[in-house]
Amino acid sequence: MHQLCDMEPRVMDDDMLKLAVGEQGPRDEAGQLAKQEGILFKDVLSLQLDFQNILRIDNLWQFENLRKLQLDNNTIEKIEGLEKLTRLVWLDLSFNNIETIEGLDTLVNLEDLSLFNNRIAKIDSLDALVKLQVLSLGNNRIGNLMKIIYLRRFKDLRTLSLAGNPIAAAEDYRMFICAYLPDLVYLDFRRIDDHTKELAEVKHQYSTDELKHQENLMQARLEDEQARREELEEHKAAFVENLNGSFLFDSMYAEDVEGSKLASLPGVAELMETYKDKFVIICLNIFEYGLKQQEKRKAELDTFNERVQEAVQENQAQGRHRTAEFEEKHLLSLSTIRGESELTDIETKIADQREDIAELSNALMTLEMQLVEQLEETINMFERNIVDLVELFIENVQSLMAQCRDLENHHHEKLLEIAINILEKIVKGELDEDLPDDVRALFVDKDTIVNAVGASHDMHLLKIDNREDELVTRVNSWCTHLVDKIHKDEMTRNRRRVKEINQYGDHVQGELDSLECGDILD
Amino acid sequence: MEVLKEKVEEEEAAEREDAAERAERGEKMMRLMEVRKEETTMTQEMLRDLERKLSEIEVSIPEKPSTFTKDTIDISKLPLSYKSNTPKEEHLLQVADNFSRQYSLLCPDRVPLFLHPLNECEVPKFVSTTIRPTLMPYPELYNWDTCAQFVSDFLAMLPLPDPLKPPSYLYSSTTVLKHQKGNCFDFSTLLCSMLIGAGYDAYCVNGYGSQDLCHMDLTREVCPLTVKPKETVQEEEKAPPKKYAIKPPRDLSSRFEQEQEMKRQEEIKAAEEKRWRQEEERLMEVDSAKTDPLHGLRVHSWVLVLSGKREVPESFFIDPFTARSYSTQDDNFLGIESLWNHKNYWINMQDCWNCCKDLIFDLGDPVMWEYLLLGTDKPLLSPAEEEDNGANDDDDVENLGKEDEDKSFDMPNSWVEQIEISPEVFETRCPNGKKVIQYKKAKLEKWAPYLNNNGLVCRLTTYEDLECTKTLEIKEWYQNREDMLELKHINKTTGLNIDYFKPGHPQALRVHSYTSMQPEMDRVMEFYEKARVDGLIKREETPKTMTEYYQGRPDFLSYRHINFGPRVKKLVLNSAESNPRPVVERFFRNPAKPADEDVAERVFLILDERIQLRYHCREDHITASKREFLRRTEVDSKGNKIIMTPDMCISFEVEPMEHTKKLLYQYEAMMKLKNEEKLSRHQAWESELEVLEILKLREEEEEAHVLTTSIYDTKRNEKSKEYREAMERVMHEEHLRQVEAQLDYLAPFLAQLPPGEKLTRWQAVRLKDECLSDFKQRLINKANLIQARFEKETQELQKQQQWYQENQVTLTPEDEDLYLSYCSQAMFRIRILEQRLNRHKELAPLKYLALEEKLYKDPRLVELLKVFV
Repeated sequence: MHQLCDMEPRVMDDDMLKLAVGEQGPRDEAGQLAKQEGILFKDVLSLQLDFQNILRIDNLWQFENLRKLQLDNNTIEKIEGLEKLTRLVWLDLSFNNIETIEGLDTLVNLEDLSLFNNRIAKIDSLDALVKLQVLSLGNNRIGNLMKIIYLRRFKDLRTLSLAGNPIAAAEDYRMFICAYLPDLVYLDFRRIDDHTKELAEVKHQYSTDELKHQENLMQARLEDEQARREELEEHKAAFVENLNGSFLFDSMYAEDVEGSKLASLPGVAELMETYKDKFVIICLNIFEYGLKQQEKRKAELDTFNERVQEAVQENQAQGRHRTAEFEEKHLLSLSTIRGESELTDIETKIADQREDIAELSNALMTLEMQLVEQLEETINMFERNIVDLVELFIENVQSLMAQCRDLENHHHEKLLEIAINILEKIVKGELDEDLPDDVRALFVDKDTIVNAVGASHDMHLLKIDNREDELVTRVNSWCTHLVDKIHKDEMTRNRRRVKEINQYGDHVQGELDSLECGDILD
Repeated sequence: MEVLKEKVEEEEAAEREDAAERAERGEKMMRLMEVRKEETTMTQEMLRDLERKLSEIEVSIPEKPSTFTKDTIDISKLPLSYKSNTPKEEHLLQVADNFSRQYSLLCPDRVPLFLHPLNECEVPKFVSTTIRPTLMPYPELYNWDTCAQFVSDFLAMLPLPDPLKPPSYLYSSTTVLKHQKGNCFDFSTLLCSMLIGAGYDAYCVNGYGSQDLCHMDLTREVCPLTVKPKETVQEEEKAPPKKYAIKPPRDLSSRFEQEQEMKRQEEIKAAEEKRWRQEEERLMEVDSAKTDPLHGLRVHSWVLVLSGKREVPESFFIDPFTARSYSTQDDNFLGIESLWNHKNYWINMQDCWNCCKDLIFDLGDPVMWEYLLLGTDKPLLSPAEEEDNGANDDDDVENLGKEDEDKSFDMPNSWVEQIEISPEVFETRCPNGKKVIQYKKAKLEKWAPYLNNNGLVCRLTTYEDLECTKTLEIKEWYQNREDMLELKHINKTTGLNIDYFKPGHPQALRVHSYTSMQPEMDRVMEFYEKARVDGLIKREETPKTMTEYYQGRPDFLSYRHINFGPRVKKLVLNSAESNPRPVVERFFRNPAKPADEDVAERVFLILDERIQLRYHCREDHITASKREFLRRTEVDSKGNKIIMTPDMCISFEVEPMEHTKKLLYQYEAMMKLKNEEKLSRHQAWESELEVLEILKLREEEEEAHVLTTSIYDTKRNEKSKEYREAMERVMHEEHLRQVEAQLDYLAPFLAQLPPGEKLTRWQAVRLKDECLSDFKQRLINKANLIQARFEKETQELQKQQQWYQENQVTLTPEDEDLYLSYCSQAMFRIRILEQRLNRHKELAPLKYLALEEKLYKDPRLVELLKVFV
């Protein structure tokens, strides 16, 4: 469309960007300063690069804080190189040769997007722009009116322009858009009056209602999913996920070939049934116990955090009070020193002040050390408690798992009994029912059948052991992580505070020193 | 036989008794005789004894009239019930007298009962009937405290004619309210009427009070308004050390030293206390020096409110003079003779040696409280006791009184008219709208609203000494002022004036405390910050500084302090620019900004060309960032102007950041600050102007003191009154017009014509003529009618006269009277008829002409008749 054919395409290089930044930067005195110092690209908030005959967007990765970018009236063919500009709010790409919308997936803060006068045929790839308010797509090649429905997902969209597209010629164009995008306020730079809105709503009511219904369904499904995921997450935090049902039992038989074969034996089905019931009950016990323990641990952690927070706050308040007191005194003495003319007086005063500074930093350090000691004690206490809790939990879970194993052993014995009975019957030729061939193949001799039953049993035991191990390792690692984190946090806190105190002391000292120097120079 | 004998004895007894009573009360008893005969159960000896004793007793009727003299009371306008007694009331008086006699017989050492004093019409009325329960139409009077306050304000107190006796007169509340003064019995009767009307279980009490109480002397009482409400110190409960609470650092101070210190403190305290106690004792001595020789003998009347009704949790006394409530154990109440409400009368049978402290107010217990009438709502406590009484009735007082009367006899209705208080009087409250109460070291003056033209309604003056010579402070309460001034507090010792305002002052002023109205002096102004655009709460001024406190501003400004130094005269001419003075501003934390960029305090040291910034402290830090700008505009060695150098900005950052080190950033920050400095100074200058403006406004308001009237106050609001009257006038006129318009002379004639058709000229003429002729006919008929009646009356009279002359000799005086009265009436009728006839003759032509004119002007005929005129 709009092309400056007479000019050679240009590349977005450093010089061009510097020039633009310099031109658009501060003026007058501030400009002089800016020139003197140079402007960093990452401090630039707005950049204008129009009519530059740019073919390809490039070299923009340094502009991290850019809010507004104008690239209109160039020959850009592809949207690219904008990934780093995540703070962008305003993007103008009008009057270019763009054919598809792409490369905007990281611009989550974008509110105003102009793609006016390009060669776009399809509206898509805008999913990431959740804050979009203004979208300009006029003078493009959009031909399918139904695709407008895509724009329903932008809840903040208020202004849309689509004039100059093939769809705008459609007789129902305005009505259709008003009906499907009811929150829109401006369409093609004109306000949509209420009357039009009502008319449109009535006209397309049937289809919009259906659409809404579908959307609601989708929303509900998503919410369901979300809720389920959250629940699972919660269970995982308690380390007892998937124990509130027959999941473990089912997994025991999932890979167990012999087991499923043996299940078809007469009498085994009932046995399985009772076994499963009992097993599931124990699993549920573990599950509930796990949740309860999780709550207990959480409560423990919360009280601990609260108390520590209180202690730290109180200590901070004391520290702040100390510093504020000092500050007042310090300012006063600084001004008296400035006003003083006698050199000896100045020196004594400076010495006094020096002492004061030392005293302050001592006092602050004492406070901090005191807090460190207090916190250490508390943290150790908490550590003991939480470790105890975890151990208790593991112990109980293990005993419950042992019950599972007992059940499995019991089941195994019963199964073996049945299997041997059947074998005997087969040997005696008394078996009434027909067995499938692969099952019958197990009853060749005693060893085979015993091996088969044993293999199934081993498999089951392995599964139970695995689950138990998983739980125990995870809870232990959680515990160690937690304790480590608390220690580490406390350490960083301490270091930060010490650094802060030192920094402040240095600063005050520096102030005093500079005063001294100034006086001596005078 | 036995029964018959008893009967005879009874009759005899009754006759004797009647005779005795007749000697005192006259023949009014006749009617009651029958009733009494049946029930008397006294023995003859007893009666004789009684008779003898009764004859000894003289019912003393004090001649001395009550303090407000009789001639001021206009009894002619009072209704009949005030001037006479109904039979039922007479009966009641008999009962009461009988009761009184028996009582004085059985309790000879007690003073006579206060039962039926005379009312303003010299008629004896039983005290209970003087109580007229009335619920007042004012919501303010629904509760006992406001009710009592009203009575105490409304009536002026008169002392009893004889402080040792109950008065001989007890006026109705109607009279008392009209004259707005009364003694304690009048007070308590009125208050009791209102309280019972409002649903309280209230009683008038006749008893003995202390001197202060009887004389409404509050000079030894501390004024309730001066008593500061006790600050409830809520001891913050120390939470028990919770789990994981950190241990406090070890206390390294010496316990011994602490103990020593504590001991010393205690000694000082003890010494102080001792001194204080001595002082107290001295004061007590002064007080007790003035003991009352008549202590315990002074008669007083007050109101008792019993618990139970209206959610009153505990019985209490109300002193009607002062409207204060006292517990029933109070020292001021020295004894109770009797009490009554509108239904019954009780006599206290309990010993009052310990004032009223041991009294039990269980009116249902006949041992403690002897009642006059049976069958009231107070149930008897122990029915067994009554049986007991019946067995040995010889020495029992109560049964005599009780069984004399009909069981179903209850208190007659009150003879007093309903209590009425007009809204004007209610508002005026005190007599003449003013009341003064003297308290201990304080004087309280009250005025009715709108009485003082500056809106003053109450003034409390507190004194330093008991003699009230040295004023300590004055508090003045105002109402309905246009400038919303509510309270003025003047402290005479410090010279500090504090004005309190209600919301609605044009400058949103809330409190203004000052020593003088001159500008540039110490003063504090507080504002209703919600009503101000700038959110100013408080502005403190001293001669050299001004401090302002803000709240809820969008720029989070909380404090601004301006140091004027020596003030320059003529502020108005000075613009803000030319007067450099240090300004300190503080800000609240702006949650939208990170702490390092959120300025907490900025100081513009204009003379030093220095700007100091202090930022807010980060959440987890104890030090805050600081920045100091020096605004030296210098020229470097080459003669170029230095825009910004690193030493022009000294900054301390909690966490050093890169971009803040840049000169450009600092330059921009400084430029911004320069602008803001200008703004701040301008605002300071504006504040000064505002102070001047407020002071001017206050002065004007003080001088003008305009009072506002509510739009609902129809009496005072002149505008609305005029408007309402105009409206009423218009309505009235409209009504008259309508009545006139409704009379349609033509309707009967128009009805003869076919409906819906337009009148022709001929028809119209005929219509008019018919109407007129009809009217003429009616006038003639009326004249004839009057004439006929006149003639008939005359004939009748003549006939009667004839008859009289014929039978004159034989007539009885009655017949003659009848004839004469007939004659005079007939003559009167004839004269009237004559007058009417004459009047009719005079008016008839005029009326005829008026109708004719009206018909000519009638809209239906006017078109058609115009041609002929």
